[in-house]
Formats: sequence, C-alpha cells, structure tokens
Amino acid sequence: MPATRASAAMDRTYRRMLVPASLAVGIFAITPLLGMLALSFTDFHLVRGWSGEIGIQNFVRLFEDRRFISSIYIMMALSVFGVLAQVVLGTAIAVGLDKIVGRWRFARGIFVVPFAVPHVAVALIWLSLFTPTLSPINAFFAVFGIEVPALLTTQTGAITAIVIADTWATYPFVMLIVLAALQGISPDLDEAAALDGATRVKAFFRITLPLLYPTLLMVALFRFIETLKHFPLIFVMTSGGPGRATQATNYYAYVQTFQNSNVAYGASIAVFLFLFAAAISFYIAKANARLSDA
Amino acid sequence: MIKTTHGALSAMLLLGSTALAPIAANAQDREVNVLLFSMPSTRGLAALADDFEAETGITANIDVVGQDVFESRITLSFTGGARDIDVVHTPVIQVQRWVEAGWLEPVTDTVEGLEDKDDILSGPLEAYQVNGDYYGLPFFAETGLMAYRKDLLDAAGVEAPETWDEMLEVAKAVDSDETAAIAMRVAPGQGFNMFVFPMLMRAYGGKFFADYPDDMTPALDSPENLEALNTYITLMNDYGPQGIGNFNFPEVVAALQNGQAAMTVDGTSIVSQAVDPAASQFADEFVLALPPGGPAGRSPAIAVHGLGIPAGSENAETAAEFIKWATSTETLTKLAINEAFPDFTRASVAENAEVQAKYAEVQEDFLDLRIEALNLAIGHYRPLIPTWPEIGAAIGENVNAAVNGQMSPEEALEAAQEEMEIILSY
Repeated sequence: MPATRASAAMDRTYRRMLVPASLAVGIFAITPLLGMLALSFTDFHLVRGWSGEIGIQNFVRLFEDRRFISSIYIMMALSVFGVLAQVVLGTAIAVGLDKIVGRWRFARGIFVVPFAVPHVAVALIWLSLFTPTLSPINAFFAVFGIEVPALLTTQTGAITAIVIADTWATYPFVMLIVLAALQGISPDLDEAAALDGATRVKAFFRITLPLLYPTLLMVALFRFIETLKHFPLIFVMTSGGPGRATQATNYYAYVQTFQNSNVAYGASIAVFLFLFAAAISFYIAKANARLSDA
Repeated sequence: MIKTTHGALSAMLLLGSTALAPIAANAQDREVNVLLFSMPSTRGLAALADDFEAETGITANIDVVGQDVFESRITLSFTGGARDIDVVHTPVIQVQRWVEAGWLEPVTDTVEGLEDKDDILSGPLEAYQVNGDYYGLPFFAETGLMAYRKDLLDAAGVEAPETWDEMLEVAKAVDSDETAAIAMRVAPGQGFNMFVFPMLMRAYGGKFFADYPDDMTPALDSPENLEALNTYITLMNDYGPQGIGNFNFPEVVAALQNGQAAMTVDGTSIVSQAVDPAASQFADEFVLALPPGGPAGRSPAIAVHGLGIPAGSENAETAAEFIKWATSTETLTKLAINEAFPDFTRASVAENAEVQAKYAEVQEDFLDLRIEALNLAIGHYRPLIPTWPEIGAAIGENVNAAVNGQMSPEEALEAAQEEMEIILSY
C-alpha cells in the first residue's frame, strides 16, 4: 500500500534525523558515564595508580563510611529546604508579577537579575553578608545594640546560609516558568469565580494553584536535581565547614577524588549520586504523568 | 579550470608549508609553556616575561590561573601525559606526592650547575630534595610573623606577647567591644587553619609524628597538642571577632585593615597587608614581630613555592633556562621591588639598596625579622610526605569542628589521630 510505504519512508527519515543527536549524546554523555562506572569498580588512585583489581569494594565501603552517610543527610537538608524556599518564593513573585501590566512590566526584568550572576560570585556576595565583621546587616543591627548571630559557624546556620544564597540565585528560574504557566491560564476562570462570589484568595487556592500543579512539580524536580549538585556555594562559603557540617555528597566526592586522590572511590560516590537523581526523576515523571491524566 | 586552480592552490600550500616549516620548528624550540597559580609574585613574574625573551630569545607563554583551576589542570595534564606544560608551579607541600606519582623531572644538574647556589636560602632549597635529587628551585618563601596594634596594646598597658601563654593574657587585656583582640584563620584546610595552627602546636612541643622522619607513628593525641588546641580555641572564641569560626585569610585581612582586630599571627603576605598604607586604615599603628613561642620555642610557619619540570617534558632545556632566570637574583630583586611582599629566596636580594629602602619604610627591621623567622622555621613545619594534603585536610576539619564547638578538643584530636592512622595504613 502506498500509504504504508510513504510512512515507512517518513520513519526512515525521522530515524536518520535522530543520528546526530544520538551520536552527540553517545559521545559526550553516555561514554563518560560508562567510563565513570568502570572506574568505580577499580581501585584507581591518582598517585598510586591501579593495582589491576576489580570489584565492588568501593560500593561496600560507601555504606560503612560515616562521612558518606552524613553527607547524604546534609545533601537532603540542602535540597529539600532549598527547593521548598525557591518554589514558594518564585511562585509568590510570579503571581504578583502576573497581575502587573503596562509600563511596570519591566519589573520582571529586575527580578531575573540574580539568575544571571555566576554561582561563585553569588557565594562571595553571601559570604561577606554572613561574615559579621564585613556584613552591612550586622552593622545595621549593631546601631540598635542587637547582635546578629554568625550563621556560618554552626551546622544549622551554615546550611540555612547556603539555602538562602541558593534561593536568592535560583528563584527567578521558578518564577519565569510559573509566570509562563500563569499566562496560559484563561482569565475567564478568575472572572467566573468572581461572579460566583469567590474571593481572590479563594480563587487562587481553589483554581489557579491546582492548575499550576504539573508546572510546580516539574520545576521542583529540575531544582531538586540541580541542588543535588551543590558545589560552588559550599566551596566558597564554608569549605565544607564548620568541621564537616556542610560536606554534601557532591562535595564529598570532590574531597575524595581531588583532595584524597581516591579517584575510584570518588567515582563510586558519583555513580551513587547519578542513580539517586535518576530514581527521583523517574518517580516524579511517573507522578506527573498520573497528575496530567487526572 | 577548476582543476588548475585546485592544482595551483595545493602547489602554493605545499610551497608555503615547506617555506614555513623550518621557522615553525625553530620557534617551537625557543618557546616554553609555564603554568603558575595566582599569587602576587607569580603575577609579577608573568609581567616580566618580556625581559626573559629579551635576554634569551625564548618566548615564555606564562599562564597564571586560580589555584583550584591549577589543581585540576595539572592533574589532567600529568595523569594524561599531555606534556603541554614545560615549567610547573611546584609548592613544596606537593613535591613528595608528585615525585611519588612520577610527575616531576629531577633538576639536580641545573641546581648543581648554579655558580651562586649558596646564595639560595638553604631551608627552602633543601625542601625540594627528595631521595638525593632536587625537584625544583624556590622563588617564594613565606614565613610566619605577628602583627599587633601598638596603640591598643599601649592603651591596655601590655607588652607584645613573647609566648602563646602571654598571648592569652594580652588578648584578655586588649579585647574590647569595638576591637577583638586577635583574628586568625580558622576555616578548615591544610593551607588554611593548618597553615597557622602548627605554630601553636610546635610552640607547646606538640608534633604530628612521634619522631619525624624516623618514627612515623601519628602523635596527635598528646597533652602538648591538647594544650595548643585549647589555647587556640580560647583565643578565637573568647577574644576573636564574631564569626571567627569561618574566617579564612581574606576575612582576617579585612578585620585587621578595618580595625576590628588588634593582632594576628599569619604568613608574611597576610601580615604585610596590615601595614600596607594603601589598604590598611591602621597601617601606622601595626607593628610586626616574631610569632609567639612556648615551652618548645618559636616555630614560625613556612610556605615555599618553586618551579619544577613535569616528567617527560620535551623542552626540558628551555624549561631549565626559564627556571634559572625566574629564580635569579636579578629577577627576584625586580619582584621584591614591584610586588608588595618580601618573600624572595636569595640572600643577595636583601643587599639591594632599593629593596632595603622599600621595606625599611614599612618597618625598620622588616627584612631582618623575616630572615630571623625563616631561620627559626623548620622545613617540615607541615610534614613533607606524599599523604600530607589528605592528612592536613582531615586534621584541619577536626580542629575547625573543635573551635566551633561541634566536638570537644579531646575528641577532635582523637578523631584526627584515628583518621591519620587510617590514611597512613593504605
């Protein structure tokens, strides 16, 4: 049948069009990933080299390594609180900006500014704000005789500080995506709700927010995976301190690989991180599909 | 038609390439690729690259990068055998590790061939000797000094402390709401808190090893080290500025320059920023002195940086030329004059009238103090072993945790001792 032949030809064309992308992904993403996986089964050490042994000893060691276990808790604290703060703040600002029209629309541009600042610069800004001797915040409150505590010298404080810096730098990402989603929601719905006597707050929580759910879930997932990769903020703001209180898993992989030269062990931590992120993505993608169907 | 153009083109290309080939080869012989990490003296060295070319006809491609970038770049270059670097910035603290990994070429012949070898400060030079061979020539030797605000100490009626025990007394007397008595680095890291803390350790008679280098049994959990750690903790928490538990050297410098701290003990490159009139509001009030000592004497910190040649370098000869030039009296004198810090590694530089005048203006005996501190400093201030970067990080993290009250000083030393044993057992 000519129709089938035509569609088979189309199929072939599509498949051919996939070749460049598959090649790129294969060479630049899959190959290094496989390399890392292979490395994680060796005992390769930057200085001592590889003894030729292969095995799962690195993965066994992971679950006996107290520093690794505690790094997961630190990572989860940074991710969960960070994503919550970013989603709430980003959504709140997006909802506010959505209603602003006319010549004040430029305000949107201002709110996006932090997103353009490189993370190392963000870290330096917040490091000085959280260093009591340098911080204008401390200087301001000192006028009234109030001593603002030094955040970076306690574990809770240092984690809070990193979450604040991360939120400042990345809420615009959430804001932009939620703003786009808000513009796709018909204003008729709000009008109808108003006619039925719903207050604006009620209309937001009953109508707008449920419609935003899939968007919020997606944006939270993106942010969550990004926060698993925390590095510059920790490196610059705390060097993993106080003590080891902010050595999140990704930072710990760096410590093992470059500071301690244990490349293979570092690779096994990275493999764990990859599987962890993949599992979360998979789970949330499924949840999202369920939500969209409903 | 197309064919002829094609033929003509390839003929031209062929001609061009044969004509260019000898020049290219020649140029390659006369080039040297230098990788340094950013410090005032390396930036100063890069600025002098034209002088090197004028003297030798060799083009030096000097790349000065941030320290973290440097680490990853040399790691890739060395492990991958890229041979793209002819001269590499070689901190003494890494030499043992790099030599064990086979990353460095010995430069013994170059060192022995120097007519004025005796002019090089022997401590810094000997630190580059591993198993009888030299693996680098030093261009920078930083030592530990104390800086204190004479006006504030006078007002409190106290003299500058000679020992860390006296420092506790002085700090108590000087500390006020406006100005904390002392600021030192506390941030964890072998080059951060572990650059300054061993000054206390060694003053109290504490050690890293039972008897370095003969008996390498870890000896961290000793009463001497505990005393040192307790002193450090008291000084930082009771008499340091707020937030000291996360201070690294930039925060220390800022606190001194803004009048938020009255004293520090740190490297020359840090304390000289307190007396730098261009940056410090209290440059006239700060006085430099030797770091405090203790029952076991004074042990100023020492950090030495030099230049080495990566293993398998194809331009080893030009590389050696560059190293000789960069560590010569002439070049080091230029650096001492152009840059803010007197961290040169040749005795003759201090004889230069211009250098003397420059540093005498800061403080009459600045250069003498530095030489005295360098003479007091022991080469293995931080142990010269391949595993030091790892051990230093582990101890630094535990010491930092103790200062920030996350564990007791006893627990911190015990944990550090245990981790040190594990690292050494590999």
